[in-house]
Amino acid sequence: MLKFALRNLLSRSLRSFLCLMGLTIAIAGMVGLFSIAGGLEKTVSQTFGKISGIVAMQPGAPIPLFSRIPRSWGQEISQIPGVAIVNPEIWSRVNIIEGKPVISPPRFLFGTELPSRIQLKKGIYRDAIYAGRFLSLEDQGTLNAVISRQIAEQHHKQVGDTIDVNGQEMTVVGLYECGSLLLDIAIILDIEVVREITRFDSESVSCFYIEQNGDIKNELLVNQIKDHFRDRELASWQPAALALANASQSNLLKDLMNTIDQTLKGTPTQRPEAQSESAVSKLPNQTGNMNTQTEKPAQAESALEVRSAADWGDRLETFTADLDIFLGLMTGIGVLIAMLSIINTMLMSVMERIVDFGILKANGWSNRDVMLLITAESSLLGISGGILGGILGLVAIFIVNWKFANQVHLYASPGLLLFGLVFSTFLGISGGLYPAWWTTRMTPIDAIRRG
Amino acid sequence: MIEVRNVTKIHQSGETEVHALQGVCCQFPGQAFSFILGPSGSGKSTLLYLMGALDLPSSGEIYVQNRALSTLNQTERDTYRREKVGFVFQNFNLLRNLNALENVLAPFLPQGVSMEQKQRAEDLLKQVGLGHRILHRPNQLSGGEQQRVAIARALLKRPLLILADEPTGELDTRTGAEIFQCLREMSEQYQTTVVIVTHDERYIRESDFILRLSDGKIAEDNAINL
Repeated sequence: MLKFALRNLLSRSLRSFLCLMGLTIAIAGMVGLFSIAGGLEKTVSQTFGKISGIVAMQPGAPIPLFSRIPRSWGQEISQIPGVAIVNPEIWSRVNIIEGKPVISPPRFLFGTELPSRIQLKKGIYRDAIYAGRFLSLEDQGTLNAVISRQIAEQHHKQVGDTIDVNGQEMTVVGLYECGSLLLDIAIILDIEVVREITRFDSESVSCFYIEQNGDIKNELLVNQIKDHFRDRELASWQPAALALANASQSNLLKDLMNTIDQTLKGTPTQRPEAQSESAVSKLPNQTGNMNTQTEKPAQAESALEVRSAADWGDRLETFTADLDIFLGLMTGIGVLIAMLSIINTMLMSVMERIVDFGILKANGWSNRDVMLLITAESSLLGISGGILGGILGLVAIFIVNWKFANQVHLYASPGLLLFGLVFSTFLGISGGLYPAWWTTRMTPIDAIRRG
Repeated sequence: MIEVRNVTKIHQSGETEVHALQGVCCQFPGQAFSFILGPSGSGKSTLLYLMGALDLPSSGEIYVQNRALSTLNQTERDTYRREKVGFVFQNFNLLRNLNALENVLAPFLPQGVSMEQKQRAEDLLKQVGLGHRILHRPNQLSGGEQQRVAIARALLKRPLLILADEPTGELDTRTGAEIFQCLREMSEQYQTTVVIVTHDERYIRESDFILRLSDGKIAEDNAINL
C-alpha cells in the first residue's frame, strides 16, 4: 500500500514536490524559530550551571550593568551568617576597542575586587583560564587584564599583547573561555581601575558576588540578606523610557510605561499615588539609566535584590515560555499555509483519480482502504516534510551559529526535531482526511462513469 | 446461476428521472457465456453493474448463488466484489502507476499480497500471452494487451462471475476476436460464469445465452440457448 501511495505521489512529481517544499519550509521555520528559545535556554543553563554563588544588586535592575548599590553594604553582607566571601563588582559597557566602536556583540569592563576574588573557592573566570594567568594581588591598580577568547580572536590578541579599550592601553595577562555567550564578553580588571576608567561613583558598586560557606541553604541565606536590608532606602532601577514617562505630564503614558515596567519585573503595578511619595536617592553621581526620582520603598520591600543562579534560571525560563507562545503564533501562520497546501494538493490529486478509486472499489477495495491509501500519500508528504524540514532547520541553525558565533546561539533539541517530525506527520494525515472522506461519497459506478 | 427478479433502476439526472431498467426479470445460467445486447441507453451496463454490486437497484432483487445482493452490507459487498466478481471494462481501467503484474494484484493490495498470489498473477499473465510484458506500465501496452491484463486481474481471484462491459469496444476486429477467444478459454478453464455487454454480435456462438434489452425492458426473453 505504501509503495502504491509513493508511486501515486511520484506520478505527480512537480505538485508533490511543491507541496513538500511548502511543508518543509514551514517545519524548518518552526525548528528555526523554536531554536531561538532553545538556544536561550541552553545558554542560560550553561551559564548559571557554572555560577554557584548568589548576586546582590539593586532591585529592579535586569542585570548588574544597570545596578548601583552602596559599596559599604558589602561589609554588612559579609557579617551575615552563612556568607563566606563578598566580592564587589563593577560592570560597565565598553564603547571602543582598538579604535573600533563596539555595538554587537556587546563587551563589558568587569572590575572585581582582587583580594576577595582570589579567595573564592569557585571562580567562574579564574577556572576558565586557558592561556596566561588570572589576575592576582600584584595586578591591583594596573591595567593588566584578562579577556575572553572571543575578544582575543576578534582583535587577534594573545597573552602579553596590549589592547586599547575605551582609550586605555591594557596588557593581556590571561585568556579565558567559559563556553557561554553570557560570560565570554568581559574584560576583567581590578575594580579600582575600572572605577577610575568609567568614573564610577566611589561609594557605589554594581553588585556583590556572594560565596556561601555551606552552613545554611541558599534560599535561607537569600532571605536573610534581604531581611537585613529591609529597612533601607534605595532607588529602584527604572528603564530610560520609564524615567522619561515619569517626567511627562501625560498620566496615560506614565501609567502605560509603569505597567510595562512592572510586568517585566514581575511585580504588581504601583499606584500612581505611591510614586508621588518618592524621596531623593542617597546615591550621588549615578550613571546609566538610574531614575533621578527615587522612591521610598514600602517597608516590606528589601533594598537589595538577591538572586541565586536558580532564581535567574527561573526568571529566564518564564521569559522563554512567553517567547515560545510568540514563536508558536508565528509558526502557526506557516503551518496553516502548509496544511492548506496539503489539503489542496491531495484534493486535486483525488479529484483527478476518481476513476482510479472507482476501479479499486470495483475490485473490492472498501471505502476504508481507499481512505487509507489517500492518507498514506498525505502522510508520506508529512513525514518527508518533517524530515527535510528538520534537516533544513538544522543546517540553517548551523550556518547562523557559525556565521554569528559571537552574537547568537541557536539550539534545536532532539525533542524539538522529534516534535517537528510528529507534527508534520500529523499535518500530513489530517490534510489528507478531507479529500479521503470526499471519495467515500461516491458509489464505485458513479466514480467509474466520471471517466 | 444468477436470477434477476423484477429489477428497476431509476437514475436522477438533474430534475429528471431516468428509468434505466423497468421490471427486468431474467436468469443467467452458471458457468456459461452470456450476452446482454441492445442499443445505447437500453440499460445493459446498468444491469451488469447491479449484478456486480457496484450499484443498488431501486426495486427488485438480484440473487447470486441464491443469495440476495440487497441483503449484503457494505463490507460484504466489498468482499463479494473482491472475491466473487471480476470486472472487465471497455476502456480497460488499469491503474497507470502500477505495472501489469501489480495491476493484476491490485484487488489484494490492502490485505497484502502473498507469494502464492504473485506467482498465480505471473502465471495468468503468461497464459494471456503477456509473460514478456509483466513489468510494463499500461502506457507501454497496446489496447489488446491492456485488456488481457484486465482479464488476468479478473481471473486472479478465481471468480464466480466475470462481468465484461464492451470489452472489445476500443479494439480492432482482430484484437477483439483474440480477446473473446481469451475470455472463452479462461472461463472454460476456470469454470466461471461470464456475462458480457456488447453491441457487437459477431462473437456470439450458438451455445451462448442472450438477453436483449430495449428502453430498460427485455426485448427478447426467449433467447436462451439459441
